[in-house]
Amino acid sequence: MTPTGPNVTWNGVDVQTAGTTSSALTIDLTQAANLTYNWPASAGLTIKDVRLEMFYFGYAVTTRDVFLSPVQDHGPVALDWTPLSISYVLEGGYRLTASLIASNHTTMWSENFYVRGNAPLGILALLPIVLLVIIVYELYGLVRSGRYAMLGRTARAPAPSKPPEETPPNAPTTPPESPGGNTPPSGGSS
Amino acid sequence: MSAASHGAACGVVLGIVVVIFLQQIAYLDLSDLVPSIEYLIVGGVVGGVLGAVIGWVLGRSYLARHAASGTTVAK
Repeated sequence: MTPTGPNVTWNGVDVQTAGTTSSALTIDLTQAANLTYNWPASAGLTIKDVRLEMFYFGYAVTTRDVFLSPVQDHGPVALDWTPLSISYVLEGGYRLTASLIASNHTTMWSENFYVRGNAPLGILALLPIVLLVIIVYELYGLVRSGRYAMLGRTARAPAPSKPPEETPPNAPTTPPESPGGNTPPSGGSS
Repeated sequence: MSAASHGAACGVVLGIVVVIFLQQIAYLDLSDLVPSIEYLIVGGVVGGVLGAVIGWVLGRSYLARHAASGTTVAK
């Protein structure tokens, strides 16, 4: 059956089947992904660039392009991608966009699909480890927070009402006498 | 720093980290900026409130269990 419009396959699987996070393609991030962009001449698309982008927080963290020279009005075009260098960080679910771009940089067609990347050693990828350590540390801090109540009460404890024992309670406030005892009157000139 | 405020601080961090961790296990989609920021804010707020409540409760129970020793120390 001849496809009526553009389509993209990921290792032979049509990415239209991975349009939601629940139906994401499970991929091994250490293995090469072979994408095939195909569009019939009847679609009337003149393509200069086929592109694959991976998005995270709205930004394209990874972009792969295959520039066509000369431009093509039909597929297929192969694009290979091996995300090995970032695989230990990228474990998780991501949205990817496959695009067909014309010579004037206009996106003529695009398709969003989702992949779930499994890093080498599975859950032992770098970012999940960091997140798990932070979770355990914060849970430990939360459990210990009861002790901070005691610390807070100690810090807000009122000053003792009784004065220290070194100071007599009612010490005389008279000024001290001079050391000489009897001070001669001033102005005693003969 | 009181137990409630310390628990709230722990809860905010936990809420944000749990959201990112859910993306790591492919349960959440953080591809677009706007819902991702909303997820993080909601996670932080919910975590902060829950952490404050848990810290307050733990603080009260700790004080109840250590009230006698606290009096001894004060003497």
